[in-house]
Amino acid sequence: MKSEGKTSRRVAIVAAGVVSPLGFGLTETLQSLRQARDCVTPVTAFSVEKTRCKTAAQIDDGRLLDQANRSRQSRRLHRASYMVMTALAELLERSRKFEPEIAIVGTTSGGMSFGENFYRSLGNGGARSAALIANYPPQKQIVDAMEKFGINAPAQVIANACASGTNAIGHAFNAIRTGRCHRILAGGYDALSELVFVGFDSLQAATPEKCRPFDSNRSGMVLGEGAALLALEEFESARSHCAEILGEIIGYGISTDNHHLTQPNPDGSGPRRAMEQALAQAQLEPNQVGYINAHGTATVLNDTAEGKAIAELFGDVPVSSTKSMMGHSLGAAGAIEAVVSLLALQDQFLPPNINFREAELSLNIVANEARDAQFDCTISNSFGFGGTNATIVLRRFAR
Amino acid sequence: MSLSIAGMSWVTPLGSNVNDVWQRLVAGEAAAIEILENEQNGARYLVRRVPPTATAHLPPHARLRRASAISRFAAAAGLAALATAKTPPSLDRIALVFAISNGGVIYTRRFYAEIVKSGAQSASPLLFPETVFNAPASHLAAILEISGASYTVVGDGAVGILALKLAEDLLASGDVDACLVVAAEEIDPLVCEAYRQWRFLRDPKKPETPRGMIMSEGAGAVLLKRSEGEMEIDQIAPGANFFRRSEASERLGSVVSRLKNEIGFCVGSGNGTFIDRAERAALGDDMPVYSPKIALGESVGASVFWQLITAAKALEAGTLPGSSKPPVNSHALVLACGLNQQTGGLTLRRRDCPAFPGST
Repeated sequence: MKSEGKTSRRVAIVAAGVVSPLGFGLTETLQSLRQARDCVTPVTAFSVEKTRCKTAAQIDDGRLLDQANRSRQSRRLHRASYMVMTALAELLERSRKFEPEIAIVGTTSGGMSFGENFYRSLGNGGARSAALIANYPPQKQIVDAMEKFGINAPAQVIANACASGTNAIGHAFNAIRTGRCHRILAGGYDALSELVFVGFDSLQAATPEKCRPFDSNRSGMVLGEGAALLALEEFESARSHCAEILGEIIGYGISTDNHHLTQPNPDGSGPRRAMEQALAQAQLEPNQVGYINAHGTATVLNDTAEGKAIAELFGDVPVSSTKSMMGHSLGAAGAIEAVVSLLALQDQFLPPNINFREAELSLNIVANEARDAQFDCTISNSFGFGGTNATIVLRRFAR
Repeated sequence: MSLSIAGMSWVTPLGSNVNDVWQRLVAGEAAAIEILENEQNGARYLVRRVPPTATAHLPPHARLRRASAISRFAAAAGLAALATAKTPPSLDRIALVFAISNGGVIYTRRFYAEIVKSGAQSASPLLFPETVFNAPASHLAAILEISGASYTVVGDGAVGILALKLAEDLLASGDVDACLVVAAEEIDPLVCEAYRQWRFLRDPKKPETPRGMIMSEGAGAVLLKRSEGEMEIDQIAPGANFFRRSEASERLGSVVSRLKNEIGFCVGSGNGTFIDRAERAALGDDMPVYSPKIALGESVGASVFWQLITAAKALEAGTLPGSSKPPVNSHALVLACGLNQQTGGLTLRRRDCPAFPGST
């Protein structure tokens, strides 16, 4: 694989925080991954009486709100804000002095359910809903979390549909790699909302059955929610103050597939270009990658295109889609899956692709159970509406 | 890193030709004000709308068949910005960066209204994809056949600064040779109602009062390169967020202090709300300031690009609408304050005017 040979500072992950249906924090998340936990449950936040799909992977509100230690003022915030706060609290617990120059995060819908409530309130006599409006915008949730922890930096919010989280981490990586920044808070967040849930249902992209990525009988995705943040720092800077280095990001690729607004080109060329770019930047051959955390939504179209690209490029490198366990959290997915990939590297195991029964593509699927493995590099894929494709490469840090 | 503006265009309620609209701004004209009614609750709003003729010339493309106004505005501005470049960029070395705030709200409201009215089984699979923030960027990428990097950045009225910052990072990386940065918004009663309840809108019974903003729609686009064109962006400074309106002037002041050297005038984001006072406090009393929002309305996500193009024309002409002549060979400051916490700024200069020390 040809190296681009550009200015290249190493980029360290010095802390991380996560909340998802898999758990609150890195430790719970690791346990759930190891135990192949299916976190998909019946939807309770809104009526699913008239949708095909009735399930999603959801975060328990009681625990989320308890954890957030809400002040009187913060009680009006959207639950996505509490998710970001929870992830940021864990990150800062692990790296108390982390002071980012900028936050680069991804989301697709921010506080969408507040927008829904606002719309419904107009039909109910137009009661004043200023708090809903103020807390709905998609940048508000990261700004709320930054305020809570006294982080005084701009927030750049990328909305590249389901690739947003990976794009945010990838762009942050590039900004540090090229010397434009030294410390960036990167990640993504999204909370379940009726509009988005019904939207995927209307496209028949959501399944009324189990989520079975890469299975020959797959019938669609289930939605999820959550937030994950990474503290990224220029490697030498991190070493100079003895930061704990959890891993490194070493490559990023981005491409746009113009085939269709919601459907990938079935030849897999879009995902393949993103993966090739990321490998080139990382100066890796495909056989140096030990695990692929696939986008793997379990829709017929995505898994065919992605599977084809992976099979052609990587052969029998182990692949799994952890969305089978935690659902598809859209703008948060790439960030949560970056954390999953990091945990896989640190704990030297392959996270499972659950509900898998029958192979369709010639892929080495990590079927149904986690497996121990020895490897140094992973890639994590995220693709989205609009034809956005993003891949990042992570490397284990050996002390 | 200095960025050259190799092409620029806008779609505004006052027109879509950069020079014509500029002349009208200098002459003190403002876009016509219309009344928009909200069928849901009967509320009325003052708005400035883009005339239908603004996008009538768009070439036919499958992606635009069902696209909402926002995508059409974006396509018109993006194509025109590329057309004004002396050297068209190679499509495999160009990135697209899109700035947006409210996004495709017309289809979003229609999609959700059907769910509320008739139930989830009535939801339209044709509308839903258009509700996604990056749908306009996707359409534009498809029209232009851009297959490399495409980013949509969301935020409030200052989001344009963050999008330009992202474009600067992309160009600095050397991965692309040009970056088309586009922003667009469309008007819908739902958005107007939100700003009304937030007490930011001008009273429809008092259209002449300067208090309160008038919503508008349209797009702006700039083609950025490392070197080509008469105008250069010297510095881009995204600001910290403010958490209370009373903090806005301090945050803006911090942006100004990072950029202020040699600044002769400011094209600001004043729109008849608390932003006017916050900007003036940050800039001081002596700095000439002009806000195109007074004439064109508040286009939120697109507004920074209208400010940027206005500043470029002011530098080119040596004139600032509604103000005395700015100092010769001065730099322009574009200052942005959103309604919901974000701030930022950038400095602009003619290429024949020296960069000041500290330019990145």
